[in-house]
Amino acid sequence: MDYELSARERAWRDEVLEFIAEHVDEELAAESRSRGNEGRGPRAQRFLQALKDRGWWGLAWPEEFGGLGKTAIEQWIFIDEIETAGAPMLPLTVTSVAPTIMRIGSEVQKREWLPRITAGEIDFALGYSEPEAGTDLASLRTRAVLDGDEWVINGQKMWNTMAHTATHNWLAVRTEPEAPKHKGISMMIVPMDAPGVSVQGIWVWPGLRTNALFLDNVRVPRDHLIGERGMGFYYAAMALNFERLSIGSIGMARRHFRAFVATVRERVVDGRPLREDPWVRERLARLQVEIDAARMLGFETAWTLDQGRMPAAESSMAKIYVSELSQRIADTGCEILGLNGQLHAEDPGALASGRMQWLYRIAPMLAFGGGTNEVQRDIIGFMGYGLPRK
Amino acid sequence: MRPAPTPEQEELKQAIREFCAREVTQERLLAWESADGDATDGLRRAIAELGWLGLGLPASAGGSDASLVDVAVALQECARGLLPRSLVGAIRGAVALAAVAPESADVRGLAAGERALALALDEESGGTPGAFVTRIETRDGKPCVTGVKHYVPDAGAALHLVAAREGSGASLVLVEADGACVVRDALRSFGGDQQAHVRYEAAPVRARLTPAGEGAEALARLRRQQSALALAEMIGGMEAVLEMTVAYVKEREQFGQKIALFQAVRHQIAEMGMRFTAARHLAWQAITRVSGGCEQGHELASALAYVGQAFKQLCWTGHHLHGGAGFVVEHRLRFHSERAQSLCVRYAPEAPALAEIANALLGK
Repeated sequence: MDYELSARERAWRDEVLEFIAEHVDEELAAESRSRGNEGRGPRAQRFLQALKDRGWWGLAWPEEFGGLGKTAIEQWIFIDEIETAGAPMLPLTVTSVAPTIMRIGSEVQKREWLPRITAGEIDFALGYSEPEAGTDLASLRTRAVLDGDEWVINGQKMWNTMAHTATHNWLAVRTEPEAPKHKGISMMIVPMDAPGVSVQGIWVWPGLRTNALFLDNVRVPRDHLIGERGMGFYYAAMALNFERLSIGSIGMARRHFRAFVATVRERVVDGRPLREDPWVRERLARLQVEIDAARMLGFETAWTLDQGRMPAAESSMAKIYVSELSQRIADTGCEILGLNGQLHAEDPGALASGRMQWLYRIAPMLAFGGGTNEVQRDIIGFMGYGLPRK
Repeated sequence: MRPAPTPEQEELKQAIREFCAREVTQERLLAWESADGDATDGLRRAIAELGWLGLGLPASAGGSDASLVDVAVALQECARGLLPRSLVGAIRGAVALAAVAPESADVRGLAAGERALALALDEESGGTPGAFVTRIETRDGKPCVTGVKHYVPDAGAALHLVAAREGSGASLVLVEADGACVVRDALRSFGGDQQAHVRYEAAPVRARLTPAGEGAEALARLRRQQSALALAEMIGGMEAVLEMTVAYVKEREQFGQKIALFQAVRHQIAEMGMRFTAARHLAWQAITRVSGGCEQGHELASALAYVGQAFKQLCWTGHHLHGGAGFVVEHRLRFHSERAQSLCVRYAPEAPALAEIANALLGK
């Protein structure tokens, strides 16, 4: 039994912390908060460029693709520290789509797409959900029909976040309508400037923008279908698997909690330090314990990956725990702040930069997004404990 | 990082698992429970021969020089298999004495299973030295203990390690508990650890384990060690409860189907699994750090606050999913539920753990 970082892991964490100390400040975090999903601001651009210059763009990529081949524990350390610091995370293009292309793409496709991703020329939006295919992704209806050397795509995607700033869409489409629904889907790359592509903004509760994507006779070259025809459902699952460590990270909530605790330490209510209130002390201590527990579940996911096993149940546990804990942190935080807890993050009088109120609004999405928590609990039952499906 | 047992630890776990499966039968559990006094002497000799009583003791005293982590690994498995608490207490007592006074001549006897040692640390007024009523006095030029220690687990043991006030401080001493000046008032408690209030009437001190009045720090260390071991016991219990509940919902049929097919049931299993996984890592992180003397913050407090509550929650859910089948007196589930509460109130009370964490977050 050993819960201490190895010398190599310690050195890596120190290197990450050193990088953070050099490149992350409150202004960067504030810029990220204020821009939401409206693309990266200049500070975030500089930060990501610095990551790229350091060679960390591909820290999880295999070495044969120019990556650092970091272990899952090392990736977990990176994600944990970057998120706790409030720095922008590596884009999904790099952490989710690229590793999928590396594994499923033909040699020609790898040569075509990976260098452009590495160069930062390509930024993907992820086109999975549809109006009638959310949790039940395999029911998606967007069709692609081969016409000569081109695919012709028609349909609609929902929750296509970043589609209005992305250069390309990583799109799940139905190419085999006669096949069973899980086996009739393929993955396709669609340039956002292709004729017939249109984007309509949808604004969601926390003030963030996402999009509906419309595809009207959009034509893309035949070789834009990545990997094998009919395997798209499994490729989408693979791409989601590469996000497991990020989705189950408590870093963001931990960052907001720390900042909130600092506010509580300073706050005086009715002439009495808020930190002396027994109820406040108990609630914050409980949340700290829960944060410690959540962090352990993220660690479990990384450890399982490093053992060469797919952490299906483990990552579901982390996802559920982090998302539901974020709700509790936000709720408790708002309540502890009293009337101030209702102030919008942009209100200059909002304590703790309005983080608790912001987290309160975004937390529901953490639970239903990325695979609803009901499905995650099913996965734990099936994959973790061998419960029967029928 | 390697958050998993070593091959040697796995081997030890397997041996204990097989031992418990063979020796800790349903009939025996019930018989031990209804026996007048400790009826597990035969088993104590058996585990002494296997070397388990000397696990954490120095090799020079007949022990195996194993670390606290190894002892915890063993106790996890003992708890999983419902090894009688008196035997678990014997292992705990030996480890405690070896930690406080490794050179003590009594360590060898504990390793051999000739005697057992009880930890008499608490009083009705609390467990901190400042609140102790029990004191060490000098009679005829010799130190002796006078006062009452409360809720002493496995109080029938021949040796008692007593925490008592001395001067303005506290001392840890060893007392022979077989004489007339040690009077036990047996308690009916659940958890299976044969508790008693113990009155020491000028009981002679057999050995001083700390310098006079300077034992407060050793007592605090001892409590942390014992709490860390309790974490391992609780993880073992949780593992057993989760396993038996998963097995039950896979078999039990209602409304013409296995109840595991109901999503409401499946989700409760998922919740149990999630709590157990988090608890397991929090516990072992704390145990390994207490063992290595390298605690970095509030990890023990965090583990105690989480694991105790999680264990009880698992038991509640286990009972709920078992329904009446798990409610009969013979069922192993209720033994775990009793131990969960018993371990929690003694070693992992939530309030002081949360207070420690609040102090770390917000200052005192």
